[in-house]
Amino acid sequence: MKNLKYIKFMVLALVLSSCEDFLEPSPTSVISSEDFYQNEQQLIEGVINMYDGLQGVNDTRNDTNHATQIEFYVTEMRSDNTRTKSGEGEAAQFDDFAIQTTNSFVADYYRSFFNVIFRANTVLANLDVASDANRDNIEAEAKFVRAHAYFNMVRLYGDLPLIDRLVTAADGTDVFYDRRPISEIYGLIESDLMSAVDNLDNSGSRNRASKAAAQALLAKVYLTQNTNYLEAQLLLEDVMSSGYMLEPNFSDVFFNEANSEVIFAIGYTSGIATDSQNFSAEWLNGVGRTVGVNYATQDAVMALTANVDDSRPAVSFRADPLQPSQNQVTKYLPDGADGGDDGKTFAFDARLAGNDWIVLRYADVLLMHVEAIIAGGQDTSAPAAVNSFQLVRDRAGLTDAVTTPITKDDLLAERRVELAFENQRLFDLIRFNKAQEVLSAFASQNGTNFSTTDLLLPIPQREVGLSGGLLQQNPGY
Amino acid sequence: MKFKFKTLLVLLVMFCFSVHAQQAKTISGKVISKADGQPVPGVNILIVGTTTGTSTDFDGKYTIEAKAGDVLQFSYVSFKNQVITVGESNTIDVSLEEDTNTLDEIVVIGYGTQKRKNLTGAITKLKNEKLDQIAVARVDDALVGQVAGVQIAATEGEAGSAPTIRIRGTGSITSDAGPLVVIDGIIVDSDFLANLDMNDVESFSVLKDASSGAIYGSRGANGVIIITTKNGKEGKTQFNYNTFTGFKEGIQNDKIYFSVNEWAERERAATGTISDKTAYKQLLGVDQDWQDIIIEGGIIESHSFSARGGSQRTKFSASLNYLHDEGVLLTDDFKRYTMRLKIDSKVGKNFRMGAQVAPSYSRQRLFDGSTHDILRQPSWLPLYHNENTIQFVDRNVYPNVQVGDYAVQRHFDNYDLFNDGGEVDISTTSNTNPGAKVLERDRNDYRFRIQSSIFGEYKIIDGLKLRSQFNADYQHRRQDRWQGTKASRNGVAATQLDISNQTRIYVALDNTLSYNKKIGKHDINAVIGASAESFAWNVESATGIGYTSDFVQTLNAASLISLGFSEKYEERLLSTFVRANYAYDDKYLLSVSARRDGFSAFGPDNKYGVFPSVSVGWLVSNESFLEDNDVINYLKIRGSYGVTGNNAFDIGSGTFRNQINSYPFQTLLGPSSAVFGNSISNGFNPLNIANPDLGWERSVEINPGVDFGLFNDRISGSFDYYTRTSDDLLLDVPIPEASGFSNALQNRGEVQNRGWELELRTQNIKKQNFQWNTTFIASRNENELLDFAESNGQISNVDNKRAAEWINLVGNPISSYYGWVVDQEIDNQYIASPWERVGQTNREVIVKDLNGDGLIDDDDKTILGDPYPDFVWSIGNEIKIGNFDMSILFQGSHGAEIRNIGDQYIFRHFGSSSVADSGALVNDGVIANTTFVKEKIFTNSIIQDASYVALRTVNLGYNFPTEVAETLSLTKLRVYLTGQNLFYWFADDYTGLNPESINNTSPTTYGYQRVGSPINRTITVGINVGF
Repeated sequence: MKNLKYIKFMVLALVLSSCEDFLEPSPTSVISSEDFYQNEQQLIEGVINMYDGLQGVNDTRNDTNHATQIEFYVTEMRSDNTRTKSGEGEAAQFDDFAIQTTNSFVADYYRSFFNVIFRANTVLANLDVASDANRDNIEAEAKFVRAHAYFNMVRLYGDLPLIDRLVTAADGTDVFYDRRPISEIYGLIESDLMSAVDNLDNSGSRNRASKAAAQALLAKVYLTQNTNYLEAQLLLEDVMSSGYMLEPNFSDVFFNEANSEVIFAIGYTSGIATDSQNFSAEWLNGVGRTVGVNYATQDAVMALTANVDDSRPAVSFRADPLQPSQNQVTKYLPDGADGGDDGKTFAFDARLAGNDWIVLRYADVLLMHVEAIIAGGQDTSAPAAVNSFQLVRDRAGLTDAVTTPITKDDLLAERRVELAFENQRLFDLIRFNKAQEVLSAFASQNGTNFSTTDLLLPIPQREVGLSGGLLQQNPGY
Repeated sequence: MKFKFKTLLVLLVMFCFSVHAQQAKTISGKVISKADGQPVPGVNILIVGTTTGTSTDFDGKYTIEAKAGDVLQFSYVSFKNQVITVGESNTIDVSLEEDTNTLDEIVVIGYGTQKRKNLTGAITKLKNEKLDQIAVARVDDALVGQVAGVQIAATEGEAGSAPTIRIRGTGSITSDAGPLVVIDGIIVDSDFLANLDMNDVESFSVLKDASSGAIYGSRGANGVIIITTKNGKEGKTQFNYNTFTGFKEGIQNDKIYFSVNEWAERERAATGTISDKTAYKQLLGVDQDWQDIIIEGGIIESHSFSARGGSQRTKFSASLNYLHDEGVLLTDDFKRYTMRLKIDSKVGKNFRMGAQVAPSYSRQRLFDGSTHDILRQPSWLPLYHNENTIQFVDRNVYPNVQVGDYAVQRHFDNYDLFNDGGEVDISTTSNTNPGAKVLERDRNDYRFRIQSSIFGEYKIIDGLKLRSQFNADYQHRRQDRWQGTKASRNGVAATQLDISNQTRIYVALDNTLSYNKKIGKHDINAVIGASAESFAWNVESATGIGYTSDFVQTLNAASLISLGFSEKYEERLLSTFVRANYAYDDKYLLSVSARRDGFSAFGPDNKYGVFPSVSVGWLVSNESFLEDNDVINYLKIRGSYGVTGNNAFDIGSGTFRNQINSYPFQTLLGPSSAVFGNSISNGFNPLNIANPDLGWERSVEINPGVDFGLFNDRISGSFDYYTRTSDDLLLDVPIPEASGFSNALQNRGEVQNRGWELELRTQNIKKQNFQWNTTFIASRNENELLDFAESNGQISNVDNKRAAEWINLVGNPISSYYGWVVDQEIDNQYIASPWERVGQTNREVIVKDLNGDGLIDDDDKTILGDPYPDFVWSIGNEIKIGNFDMSILFQGSHGAEIRNIGDQYIFRHFGSSSVADSGALVNDGVIANTTFVKEKIFTNSIIQDASYVALRTVNLGYNFPTEVAETLSLTKLRVYLTGQNLFYWFADDYTGLNPESINNTSPTTYGYQRVGSPINRTITVGINVGF
């Protein structure tokens, strides 16, 4: 009898052993890709995922993608506008034009935006599940995001691997190390944006792609390449007749979200770890782990305060309440709160700020409009340009009639004040062909060294190392 | 699995000769074990030269007819024989000494046991003789220095925190390189050792080589520690109460404290005067060594109660333990409650069954901070304001600060030192008080666990047994972390509560069929089995923010739940295994085994792995030519070859295990979200690059060895040489970022560990009342990366802000330190303000131009060392004089280096004051150009010698004589005094707190320390009572 019972026990184990399914438990809190991208709803979830990529992760780990949240390091802090407060650590490499190839922000940005491109390519690869009615629109949205990512990347890193589709294992890894000339990258950006202009409208959220956003971005792409000025002008004029307008109060541009001036902004919401941002706190003193970055330089303070009637400087920066000799950027104060007397006392967690990051706004469009009309020349007195310029100045409280002609230097100076600390300055200097002159002077003032090769970031050392010689580093690194 | 020494009793066949029974009398007495004072049933008692004998009963009592002058021999398995001549007395009580060197000793080898003399692999058995008298919170902490080739380092300083255990070096790169832990046949994770009471442990078996580990196949590659817990013994129920209590303190390092006045003297000596800042600091009248605040010491106590006993058929064991370790760090505290019930019963003639259940609960309050962060604080800053310091507070900014409040550096800003309207600032940080950071946070780890198993064993025919064991292990871990209103410089804005819960349910069914038989000269011991295991995890966490006070520290007082999260995942294993041990004529030994494992996380084509092994041995001393050798009494030559595997990869980091670990062969998508206007929309994000080919990491190990005994075991020991080559490493390989991903889990790379181990035991003095034994253990391991695929030469760092580099380069140890080599220090004249901060040293040094091109760049970097010791040793001495005994264990490690980034904090390489003027250095011709000046943290300046020698344990004990104990109705009474780390020497250039305390970073960036956690020095007294 006992024998029998025991044999039963043993048999049970053998049954288990022969059960093949036993080794194939299904995931429960993630999805296996085989089951995904089967219908339009799932494709749209892929579209949303692109914006999640642009948002970046709000944490302080160094292996996660922070995307837009760390953009100021590789743009504004490399210009004459901002610097670190203490000159300490890796962030200070941007102040000093002494960026190491191992700089983790450089690697983070590269990683984040190629990941965004991958997310966009994932959507584009699965368009067949979309309905005929929505397919073009979804495609256009994905292409807009891809173009936005590539446009930032190409301006920062120069030649880049051109990844315009989902690469499979069979394609090998060489394509990831093959730096294509910037003309090819711009080719993809332009065709993506044209497709976006054709298939998008302006009815959706300002946190998503729109026709106007695509138009403004395409105009900027043209201006950056010093080509197609007329197309740029027409694109911008189309945006100017699409219902956007300047906020009467400059402060409301930043603290009254989704206002009529905003054309495209990366959306964040306050208090939720997965959808908030940290840069607002990082730009202050003593709030959170990283502190005192993106502080206004003395050079920027002087430039911004040149005109005492200008209402914009008061919104743009302030003396650090704790260290009054230092100036901190205030356009993105956490959810608009100023941190009280010491500038760091908040009623909520400032590290989980909800301020959207404005990528494109109407003032930028107006000033680009002037730029397009100058069309590579030295100045303009064209009434259309003067009108656009005047609109921006009027809103700042500078209602005197614009002195004509408007020179390139006037325009650059205006852009600096209007768009200060919005990650535009470095690109403006390069586009206006002033970077060498301005940054050299700025560097020598601060006892650092600037050379033209500093205008491009290094390709992250990790990539160069992995490529086994296929991927060439930028000159100067 | 279960075995019992004392039920192997073979009764002597007794013949009754009639003897000349002159003056024959009845002798009676009691036989006890010397080690634990417990009665030993079944001891054979024989009158030498006759065949007259008897044996002891359950209570260890016997009677025998003998006459004066007769010699009685007492013998029993695993005890040394004792002979006593009958004298006047009619009572002869005997206490038998356990024979630790006996070759008939049984060793647990995984799914079975084997006689020690027949072992062919590298297996060390360690019995719990006095390990339970070492006052540590965790079982593994007590094993330091006990087994050759096993390295245990207290990596975290908190009481109850897991040490890092490495058997024969680091064999894996991304995988967990720790050993497999098996308790009574149940596979557990090493974290479990926090929930085990050493008093319950009977013995450890450490399976070091691959041939021994191969029976655990996939999980044996980094060695196996098998723990056997105590069983009940046949006889009267034995009650034991073991307790110790003592005091712990943390050892401080004088090198990292500078008093304000001492610094002022140095400044005056160097410059002839002192600065205003220094004068102001002296005025504050504070000299705070922050070590005194955070290294506070505490008590440790343990109470363990057990009852063990049983009849011939049924045995039981029940035990309870409470342990409290206050740790040596501020706020650090560990409490543990464990219970274990075991029962084992012979149900029928051929059927035996048993069960055990072991619930345990522990609560660990952590030191929520890092020692470096507090020790970097200047000595002029007090923890709290006193009557003097309050006078200096800048009342314009801080009107409400009072005596007793936490002092903050900024409070002392803008002081008018000379009453002339001038302002002196000495603050260097806006941070909150360092003590407040720790005291105002409350971080706990609660572990609840029920480990249980039930088995049945059926003897089919003599020697052939079928056994089935079902194991279930429920573990629940809850973590919480409260950050109060005063914990951060951001006050209420930074208040936060993080809570997480993780449960893991593990079930396993093991079935084995074993055959043990000696037929003539053939000794066969074979087992075949199958096992199915399942692990299911459930994790949840939530974060609450926006607390306005410290009153209610739960989620319901939060103004916002900023994060809510849950995940579940599952893994399964299915295995079959076979092993045969064969001995011929007690001379020629052979063991072969194989295991086939299937693992759910691996790809469809590589789910299964097969892990074979073979080992041979030759008992030379049993050959006739050595039979009567005066010198060699035991000699065994053995060799083994084995293949083991590893599936314990762990990619990602964070609070929880990344669930990609459970399904890495599939492409997975996880939820993501984006904000559009005022609403959050949900999407799905591809998480990984699937690897359908993912399979087992493999280790091949060759291990020749020799065991020997000389001069009748006065000198005995073993020597092993091994090479372990691990390939197909489960590696989270870096891939080009342009792919959209950073890493992909692949089988890549090859690493080799080779080395030797020596164990030498001597019996220096061996007299009735005076014994002295010495054990010397030494080992050496070399680690070399043989292949690292595309990642060869990979350079990585731990911290962006202090990006000191590691390199993983073929031909070198994995995780080698990389950087520039210091040429010379920079003279103070080139330093901005060398006396500005108390204790500051220069941020930079001048480095060497290794390639001589006149420029310092990446090409001048070189390997600066590695974190692995070259040589590890220990010497243990056991001395017994009468009822007194003493054991002393010294342990040392040499040749490891540590990258102590703590220097940057402690010696204040921060800020502008410590920066060198490199332009002036060039102008003065000290250096050719400015590239020669590099921050110390990128050079070997902070690579320090991590060698140490420690007096690990001293134990002084006294066993009361049986008669004395009996008058108290006790069977055993022992008192003892122990000390841990009473002396601890480390290298002169080491400037941290503990060279063993290494941050838990990835295996490719190992050896990082920020000052470290202090070494614990403990003194305890203990009592063991048996009744």
